[in-house]
Amino acid sequence: MSRTRAIAVVAALALALPPVLGSPYVLHIAIMTGFYVILAQSLNLVLGYGGLLSLATPAFFGVGAYAAAILALRFGWDGAATLGLAALAGVATGIAIGFPSLRVSRHSFVIVTLSATLLLQLVANNWEDLTRGSLGLANIPAPRLFGLTVEGRTGWYLLSLAAAGAVVLVTHRVVGSRFGRAIVATRENEQLALAAGIDVFRTRLFAFSLSGAFAGLAGALYAYFITYIDPGVFGFSVSEALLIMVILGGSGTLWGPVAGAVVFTALPELLRIAPEVRSLLYGIILLLIVLYRPAGLATWLGRHRTAAAAPSA
Amino acid sequence: MLTDPVFLAQLAANGVAVGLGYALAALGLALVFGILGQVNFAHGELYMLAAFVLLWATQRLGLPYGAAAALTVALMAGAGAALAQAVIIPNLDRGFESVILGTLAVAVILQNAVRLAFGATPLDIAAPLEGVTVDVGGVLLFGQRLAVCAAFVAAYTGLAAFLRFTAAGRAMRAMSQSRDACVMVGIDVRRVTRWTGALGAALAGLAGVVIAPLFDLYPNMGTEVVFKSFAVVIIGGMGNLAGSAFAGLALGLAESFAGGLGSAVLRDGIAFTVMIAMLLVRPQGLFGRSVRV
Repeated sequence: MSRTRAIAVVAALALALPPVLGSPYVLHIAIMTGFYVILAQSLNLVLGYGGLLSLATPAFFGVGAYAAAILALRFGWDGAATLGLAALAGVATGIAIGFPSLRVSRHSFVIVTLSATLLLQLVANNWEDLTRGSLGLANIPAPRLFGLTVEGRTGWYLLSLAAAGAVVLVTHRVVGSRFGRAIVATRENEQLALAAGIDVFRTRLFAFSLSGAFAGLAGALYAYFITYIDPGVFGFSVSEALLIMVILGGSGTLWGPVAGAVVFTALPELLRIAPEVRSLLYGIILLLIVLYRPAGLATWLGRHRTAAAAPSA
Repeated sequence: MLTDPVFLAQLAANGVAVGLGYALAALGLALVFGILGQVNFAHGELYMLAAFVLLWATQRLGLPYGAAAALTVALMAGAGAALAQAVIIPNLDRGFESVILGTLAVAVILQNAVRLAFGATPLDIAAPLEGVTVDVGGVLLFGQRLAVCAAFVAAYTGLAAFLRFTAAGRAMRAMSQSRDACVMVGIDVRRVTRWTGALGAALAGLAGVVIAPLFDLYPNMGTEVVFKSFAVVIIGGMGNLAGSAFAGLALGLAESFAGGLGSAVLRDGIAFTVMIAMLLVRPQGLFGRSVRV
């Protein structure tokens, strides 16, 4: 009961933000926080619940951003259909990357997810007819949803909040479902999951494509909100920030990555740290976690290890 | 034009030169995976760091290229030993994800530290062989490219001899077979890990000092190198040194012909496409012992 109440309080506070703290700058950060919540949940699904270290989240994000921008600029599409198609593009990318990479060792999985992201960045840079290369796509028009044009920071804030809330809800439903338990089972003990009749490959592919849908949606929202994208949307710095949000927040939990996303989006902005310095600090934080707080990785590494060690004990 | 034998010979010569560069850049990565079973995600940044150390040694210290290159490789070996000590050794028993995350963090730190120190504007290093070209029956060979080929041959034979004939090399090969057995016969596993890290970084450094003068220097330059090196290592069979050398050479040739007869995009996509095809058809790579999980 208290949990429901806590969620209600958080939702009420979030809804009260625009009138109370209505400065455009704070709202801008709040909107970006919503996008990062979606991205963190996308990584959490694969890394936290699935136990797979994926560096492909920026690939899904970038594909979603480009899908929305191209549909809007080239074909004059807008609104819910574009957002849905961007999420579908994320699913397609997830299947395309997951199909080869999930069949091989977990070493190769990390390498392939990173390489795929770099390749997509290369394509965005070189396929100039479609993407205008490093010039990027500018003047992406405001989306129309259900007859309303999303404009103004308050409108965007409500959309960002709604999308982040929907993603958290979907994650909650999926994780509590049969499929979600199967995903966790493949993380805990792959052999045992196989023996219990779980199709490990298909379960992981499902988690990976749902992760693609989330990040694709975030990419489309980002493209519409910023109104400009370039191949930098595939950048590794996104993966780096997400890893910190998910691991420090608590991977494999529903609300941990949400908290991580809120803290690590707002904090650097409010402290006004330059992007290079922020990346440098993120790198140092990540290294310190790995070296001194491996328990911070415990939600996935630790459980994995106990499960692996169990038969000999 | 397309069937002109001189043109095709030129493409082949370019391909061999570029391919041996890929093989050289991937050698340290393949070594670290082969001996330790760990993926070093900072490999590309070690290459980048070597290029910037070389720039510092030639411009600030005023050393000639050869001396600066030797100093850089020595410093990189030290950096590799430090990386192994700080990041790999504490994580040897913790599962490979820890080492991947740790080396990723080091990569991010190096990239941004270099960006803060040198700025993001592309810089250039001069090397003595840069302007030299040799004309062999109409086929042009470039001096610095030949230096890359020579560096690869020297590094590969040197590494093979080291692994075969020295006590430290034998200990490293033993470690690649079984770490537990090493512990039982009294091989210092930490020392072997430091040795491997130092050698891997020295090889990345050597690649950096000979290849970097061909291109601009910028803080992200390691990303493309590590991307190609991953492809080479996967195609060749992870941890198989001869396999990666062959895969690097083949990739260089394929790219050269694709670029000469097709388009630049086609050329850039080959590494990834072949890597994916290899993972689907032969996950253990061309010459694989199977990939360890």
